[in-house]
Amino acid sequence: MNANAPKSFPNRLGLKGWAYAGRYGLERYLYLGHRLSGLGLIAYMVLHIIETANRIRGEQAWAGLMALFASPPFKVVEYLLFAAAVFHALNGLRLMITELGFFLGKPKEPVYPYSTSVMRHRPLTYIIMVLAGLIILLGGSSLFFK
Amino acid sequence: MRETRLWSLHLLAIPIILVLLGMHFAIMHYAPVFYGMSVEEARSFEVMIERGRSVAQLVLYILLLAAGLYHGLYGVRGIIRELPLTPVLSKAVDIGILLFGLFIFALGTYVTWWTFRY
Repeated sequence: MNANAPKSFPNRLGLKGWAYAGRYGLERYLYLGHRLSGLGLIAYMVLHIIETANRIRGEQAWAGLMALFASPPFKVVEYLLFAAAVFHALNGLRLMITELGFFLGKPKEPVYPYSTSVMRHRPLTYIIMVLAGLIILLGGSSLFFK
Repeated sequence: MRETRLWSLHLLAIPIILVLLGMHFAIMHYAPVFYGMSVEEARSFEVMIERGRSVAQLVLYILLLAAGLYHGLYGVRGIIRELPLTPVLSKAVDIGILLFGLFIFALGTYVTWWTFRY
């Protein structure tokens, strides 16, 4: 066997492995939220492209569809999509900051109790999530109240 | 190298989506805030066709379609490929997602072009 061959780490947990955070905590649940919101957004995008193709059937068909989307259940769906988009975008920003190693502070001697990069980024995580929450609330106010 | 390139494209799509989706939200969902017209008016057939006749809208929407579909479907591919799949099945997932993406992109592009020529 080639010693330089990349090791394979099979996903033994399967589907459960996507949802189980184990000892990873908050960031792992944000990762799960990122996936779920991403899946919701791409599913919506595909449906949105198919649904807006309805304009080819003419003005009446378009007006009927728009009237349906103005109904309260669709307003709620629209808001959930907005919330998913805001969460996905801001959590994505956090992931890029994490991957690029920003805001980690100066390197320190590894003295017990150790400070991990996850914990050094934790305040940033809180700030970004509070910001996401505020934008979601503000967005809802202008979507539901005229 | 191929995977690195695909991942880089996934990241490159982000600023494009942020700007263009922001514009889309502003036009379609926040028209009262940004354009001083009601959401119903912004979504009416006449206004939608009027907007769709501009070259900028044609180009930007096709770009948003490409960036959004690539970013989203690349993400779906990553999630599915985490499952313990055989190499043949992994290849089938790649091809299936590519064909699906191309089909939806073609449909979206056709509708955008149809609106532009209306």
